[in-house]
Amino acid sequence: MNMTPKAVVIGSLMVLTAVVLSVIVLPYADTSKTTASDIYRPRSADEAAGRKIYIANGCVYCHSQSIRSIDWGLGAERIAQAGDYIQDRPILLGSERSGPDLSQEGGEHPDDWHRGHFTNPRYTRPLSIMPAFAFLGDAAIRVLTNYVQSLGFKNADRRMARQRRWKKSAVTAYEAGPEANVKWLADHVPEGWRSVPNPYPTSAAGLARGHKIYQDFCLGCHGPVGDGMGPAQPHLYPPPLNFTILKGRGISGGILYYQIMNGITGTAMPYFKRELESEKIWDVGDYVAVYFINQSDANGKPRGIDAAYEP
Amino acid sequence: MSNAMATSPEKHLTARGFCITSACWMAVATFMGLLGAIELVAPDLTENLGWIVFGRVRPIHVNLVLFGFVTPGLLSAAYYFVPKLLRTRLYSEKLGLVTVITWNLALVAGVATLAAGLSQGREYAELIWPIDMAIVIAFGLIFFNLIMTVKQRNEPLLYVSVWYVLAAALLTGVTFALGNVVWQPDSGALVGIPDAILLWFYGHNIFGLLLTPLSAAVAYYVIPRACRAPLYSHTLSLLGFWSLIVIYTHVGTHHLLQVPVPTWLKVVAIVDSIAMVIPVMAFLINIWYTARGKLGEVHADVGAKFVFTGTIMYFFVSIQGSMMALPQVQRVTHFNNWVVAHAHIGVLGFAGMIALGGLYYVLPRMTGKPLYSRFLADLQYWLVLIGISGFAIVLTIVGLIQGNAWLNGETVYRVLPEIHIYYITRASLGVMIFCGALIGLFNIAKTLLAPSGENA
Ligand code: HEC
Ligand code: HEC
Ligand code: HEM
Repeated sequence: MNMTPKAVVIGSLMVLTAVVLSVIVLPYADTSKTTASDIYRPRSADEAAGRKIYIANGCVYCHSQSIRSIDWGLGAERIAQAGDYIQDRPILLGSERSGPDLSQEGGEHPDDWHRGHFTNPRYTRPLSIMPAFAFLGDAAIRVLTNYVQSLGFKNADRRMARQRRWKKSAVTAYEAGPEANVKWLADHVPEGWRSVPNPYPTSAAGLARGHKIYQDFCLGCHGPVGDGMGPAQPHLYPPPLNFTILKGRGISGGILYYQIMNGITGTAMPYFKRELESEKIWDVGDYVAVYFINQSDANGKPRGIDAAYEP
Repeated sequence: MSNAMATSPEKHLTARGFCITSACWMAVATFMGLLGAIELVAPDLTENLGWIVFGRVRPIHVNLVLFGFVTPGLLSAAYYFVPKLLRTRLYSEKLGLVTVITWNLALVAGVATLAAGLSQGREYAELIWPIDMAIVIAFGLIFFNLIMTVKQRNEPLLYVSVWYVLAAALLTGVTFALGNVVWQPDSGALVGIPDAILLWFYGHNIFGLLLTPLSAAVAYYVIPRACRAPLYSHTLSLLGFWSLIVIYTHVGTHHLLQVPVPTWLKVVAIVDSIAMVIPVMAFLINIWYTARGKLGEVHADVGAKFVFTGTIMYFFVSIQGSMMALPQVQRVTHFNNWVVAHAHIGVLGFAGMIALGGLYYVLPRMTGKPLYSRFLADLQYWLVLIGISGFAIVLTIVGLIQGNAWLNGETVYRVLPEIHIYYITRASLGVMIFCGALIGLFNIAKTLLAPSGENA
């Protein structure tokens, strides 16, 4: 083949044209007609403004907005559909997950959690490597939070309604004083759990494990001494629980377990069932009970058969 | 600078301009990469410095590596060897200098806007419209200058390097404009899934139609010359060139295998990603057979040494890439540092090494004086080579940890402490690469500024 300048220039342009027609134009005929998915709704002006802040600060380099069938983490209850993206210009699928997927983030946490987290992610998540965004200022953080709370559209709206509903009663309970608050917290733990003691005996190894988990997951809110005065405290309302007030108020290992596993929707207290396996939840619960509440029912009655590993 | 100088062919002013452009921006680009790596280790080190928050540092790093360091480095060599291969002089050094200046202004503006948070939010297409236009115009100028040089040639046959350079400038100009959706100045984007398809068509063509052909052009120029051997096969050159343009352009959707895009498009992307073995091996066999038995000669010239190393990296990154396009593999490798390892082997190990090799090969020839220091060039070679090999190992390990942990149901947060130590190693390797860039800048600047050049 004689590679004249014409052959190179016209030939390669022709190939490119053919390729553009087949892999861009042809699928466009189809994908441009995508209709809205079941959860879809348009974004409000405020949410759209938050999306601009998201773009300006490169959140997309650490967060995907695309849940796959093989995902277990955040939002995996719903796999991404083409109809979720029909107003996204640009689409923000992301190519790396340095942080979790955010396509269903809306309503995972109440607004105050996000405020604390954006101010400095280490406040609510001690091991986080996400940058602090305090430099954006409060107004921008509020707008950004509104956008993040809209991720997931109608599903997010339902979750947000739930957050708001429980926030109201959590605040009421908190403002009624420690006695009422502790009662309110315990009353919302299902009956069966309340009467269950921690089935495993307190041990030095268990406390050491609990200590490590507390440092990595809880410290930023509940504070190094469990008084609720971690660095996130000024941003959260109701503030993180001061564990020392639980003493003598009938808090069982089961209540602690349930609250840590399930979180307390409406408050900043997140659920940990995706991050901590059963043993870790019992261990951190007992750590809180022994060191901060100063009262543990570990290995108390009613007892089952001891686990095989116990010495 | 007087007109007489600007038009004097011996001066190779455009090639020199792109040479120093590449060397300077390599230092800045690798610094930004190092900064990002450090932020992943110690996120509060730069707290409250909004303009260098990770999410802004990362696109600055990536854009500077692609458009500041690698592309100008390859272009510098091209501006030198295209006229040489055609036995003529560059059509217009003046136009070339205008291109160099436009290019640098675009880069400065790019850094400033991204740091200020002006981004269009699409990977490799972040830059805002005026900068996009400057780059499109620059590619237009490059193509015009080169095609006019071709017109005035005294050598009837076009060597394979010339095909690649012409095609790269022309096709990248077109795909850059397309991919940045320049007819939508505000957003620079389409809407929804079509936007993703277009973005990755373009994104992959930055490697496939810009870095790879320019790197191939440099290798096709440097290796036969350094070996003093004729090119092994014209047929393989032809096969490699056309199959690259046909196949590489089809594979963009392999970035979207886990996204709801049409299945037939994914199948095309997967099949063609495997078929990429054809252009890759056509090129490599051609180069490696040319150098067969002549590795001593390759080793003797530091430029050729860089280039040859780049071809080996090309082999690894491409075989790896073909594997990564398999959906079963991507279940583990997608969304994590495995891909970052691949990106670095490709852009730094392959295209970056060849860009440096091209610079070191043409620098003494275009200035007519020896390289300031062969030792420093060798030192840079080892710093970059150890750095990139370390990256490949460390980031691949991180990727496997992340990918398998996630598949096993562990959350992203849970895996952070497991990968911390690797992030520290990665940042340390980044220091080596950054030092390599500084040494290269020093060496190249010293060579360019050496006084004997005035009477070369
Ligand atoms: C360096 C990468 C990085 C960048 C940039 C980044 N994040 Fe994160 N993000 C993370 C990591 C890691 C986590 C997990 C730990 C945590 O919760 O802080 C996270 C968690 C989150 C969460 C909590 C998810 C959950 O419910 O557990 C939200 C919301 C979030 N990021 C939003 C953002 C927004 C908005 C931006 C941009 C303004 C951003 N992130 C930028 C890394 C990043
Ligand atoms: C983002 C802040 C935050 C983090 C992190 C956090 N908590 Fe909480 N926690 C709260 C808040 C807020 C409350 C509820 C306060 C209220 O309603 O008065 C709470 C309540 C609780 C309760 C309820 C006690 C009861 O009597 O019902 C327990 C137990 C608890 N946290 C344990 C933990 C443990 C263990 C961890 C770590 C694994 C943890 N928390 C992490 C903020 C946090
Ligand atoms: C046969 C050749 C190649 C194939 C089949 C291939 C395949 C792939 C695939 C499948 C991905 C996406 C991975 C994922 O997101 O899970 C990818 C990413 C990438 N590739 Fe390649 N690759 C090849 C060669 C190259 C070369 C030569 C370069 C550089 C010059 C390169 C640079 C990159 C970069 C930078 C990314 C990251 C994109 C991002 O930001 O997500 N690749 N490649």
